[in-house]
Amino acid sequence: MAPVPSKLYSDDVSLLVVLLDTNPFFWSTASLPFSKFLSHVLAFLNSILLINQLNQVVVIATGCNSCNFIFDSSSVPANPNLENGRMPALCSNLLQKLEEFVTGDEKLSKEVLAAGIGSSLLSGSLSMALCYIQRVFRTGPLHPQPRILCLQGSPDGPEQYVAVMNAIFSAQRSMVPIDSCVIGAQHSAFLQQASYITGGVYLKPQQLDGLFQYLSTVFATDLHSRRFLQLPKPAGVDFRASCFCHKNTIDMGYICSVCLSIFCKHHKKCSTCGSVFGQAQSDGNSATDRKRKTPET
Amino acid sequence: EDEDEGNGLDAWERAYADERSWESLQEDESGLLRPIDNKTIYHAQYRRRIRTTARIQKGLIRYLYIVVDLSRAASEMDFKPSRMAVVAKHIEAFIREFFDQNPLSQIGLVTIKDGLAQCLTDLGGSPDSHVKALMGKLECSGDSSLQNALDLVHGYLNQIPSYGHREVLILYSALSTCDPGDIMETIQECKKSKIRCSVIGLSAEIFICRHLCQETGGSYSVALDESHFKELLLEHAPPPPAIAEFAIANLIKMGFPQRAAEGVISICSCHKEAKVGGGYTCPRCKARVCELPTECRICGLTLVSSPHLARSYHHLFPIPPFDEVSLSLNNPHQRSSRACFGCQESLLIPGNKPTLCVACPKCKQHFCLDCDIYIHESLHNCPGCESFR
Repeated sequence: MAPVPSKLYSDDVSLLVVLLDTNPFFWSTASLPFSKFLSHVLAFLNSILLINQLNQVVVIATGCNSCNFIFDSSSVPANPNLENGRMPALCSNLLQKLEEFVTGDEKLSKEVLAAGIGSSLLSGSLSMALCYIQRVFRTGPLHPQPRILCLQGSPDGPEQYVAVMNAIFSAQRSMVPIDSCVIGAQHSAFLQQASYITGGVYLKPQQLDGLFQYLSTVFATDLHSRRFLQLPKPAGVDFRASCFCHKNTIDMGYICSVCLSIFCKHHKKCSTCGSVFGQAQSDGNSATDRKRKTPET
Repeated sequence: EDEDEGNGLDAWERAYADERSWESLQEDESGLLRPIDNKTIYHAQYRRRIRTTARIQKGLIRYLYIVVDLSRAASEMDFKPSRMAVVAKHIEAFIREFFDQNPLSQIGLVTIKDGLAQCLTDLGGSPDSHVKALMGKLECSGDSSLQNALDLVHGYLNQIPSYGHREVLILYSALSTCDPGDIMETIQECKKSKIRCSVIGLSAEIFICRHLCQETGGSYSVALDESHFKELLLEHAPPPPAIAEFAIANLIKMGFPQRAAEGVISICSCHKEAKVGGGYTCPRCKARVCELPTECRICGLTLVSSPHLARSYHHLFPIPPFDEVSLSLNNPHQRSSRACFGCQESLLIPGNKPTLCVACPKCKQHFCLDCDIYIHESLHNCPGCESFR
């Protein structure tokens, strides 16, 4: 579904969908406390709304067990009583819904993850963001230019690979850039690919105390004005594949012609779809119980 | 599938005389024209489409020849401005969509003119070269010969590797075919070589085309007008259900090149000139190529990147069709799902009327009709299933 060209709305009006990582397992060990992080982000969101009267901001929280919409600047503020003189209504609305979300998300935790930091549901919030953006496209020729900003700290979950790639390709077809700001300790291969394929910006800030400065200089500009700026370029996105058998990164491998699984050595039979190589496969092998395997990149 | 000449009116004239399209316009309370609500029509079309695609194995590596009929019949003007121009325009869109959905496949173009079939472009994976070649050769004359086209394509498709699926898509404008020999024999040859032939007719249904498609397992359809033609053509973009015996499963050796560092000067093997930076290095012979996916010109290794393979994974892991659900305010169990889970649009229309929406059979979340179409045709992820662990 191609988007209607948004030249009919002023060039520099944006719809920014922010995917906020609220994974408690990550935030409990992060170098920047969650409250400080929120203050940077709220100031940034405010500044987006100030740059242009018609700008729109939507926030989706990426939890470790669920995802949900937290804030939409275009919807009527529900509770004017929350404006208590110390905080504008935007912040208090957002914070209240965020708190409700985090409490609900924690309740859904079934067991405590023993080893390592669990991943957050990036594929879920990306999918919800894209559905919302499609709704904006449907409103007619007058709409702001949408883009997605992922504020991610949790590591990539390999089980989400196929879903994240589907979302990335759908964003590419709809011409929606995915920007990434990685707050965690390590780079995120998923987000590097997302930003490269969709034409967004990928950044891993070195000094998290100055997060607001990174956000406002790199991620605040609308898509039209980006052509005049020198934004961080992708340095070495690794598109090599991992073999399904050992999860090693390979630069030459063998692909099953039926299911496109990647192997590093010649095999007699494909472990994913069961096809025997070198002879015509029978119909019984069309997998009915195949789960989404996790090819890592 | 009706003839275009009926009652002495052209097809475009009949839209005014018979169908009275102005009667479907509506006014709202203030007298302004309300846009025509096509949502339920699109959704019904989409439901018809997905009903036919069950969870069966699909042929992912396709070698497709598109045969364009440039005989006298293609200059007919019942499709504006002419059949040939309409076909060319939609082939361009189809080629881009095809490579988007099948990144590892290849297309070749063949034209039929003056009773002869000629190969316009060889099998290749670059959309621009095909489109450019087609746009340069848009003249039509003479008769159309189905047998010559099939013979030509048969010869080429016999040379492709055994794991590939062989397909031909014929865009036929003529109402007859002038063949040098017995076309039934040619059809049997194609059937023996496991080539799946499909035809999209622009004039009327022809027995020989129907027979060809039935014998080889392809699909035959006749376009009623331009938008119908576009729809029929784009139906061939997703991989067709694979007939298991047609292609032999094989392990294909492929390379995953790294992107060369910026500022490195090397001679690129596709353009034969020195280029600075960018490009990819073949892991086997270290030649430089400009874009992926491609075949290394020096050593013949197929070069792809992992996103190209990932583009086809959604064919292997499709999401189930959503169930239609009728929401009404009075039902206490449904009160929690007032908004579409994907786009947050309200699912209720004022007036207490039951609305039509859909629900995922796995996660039970409700979605609006537009999100249903978007999820199944473009996104291939159910937001509900992805948002809950």
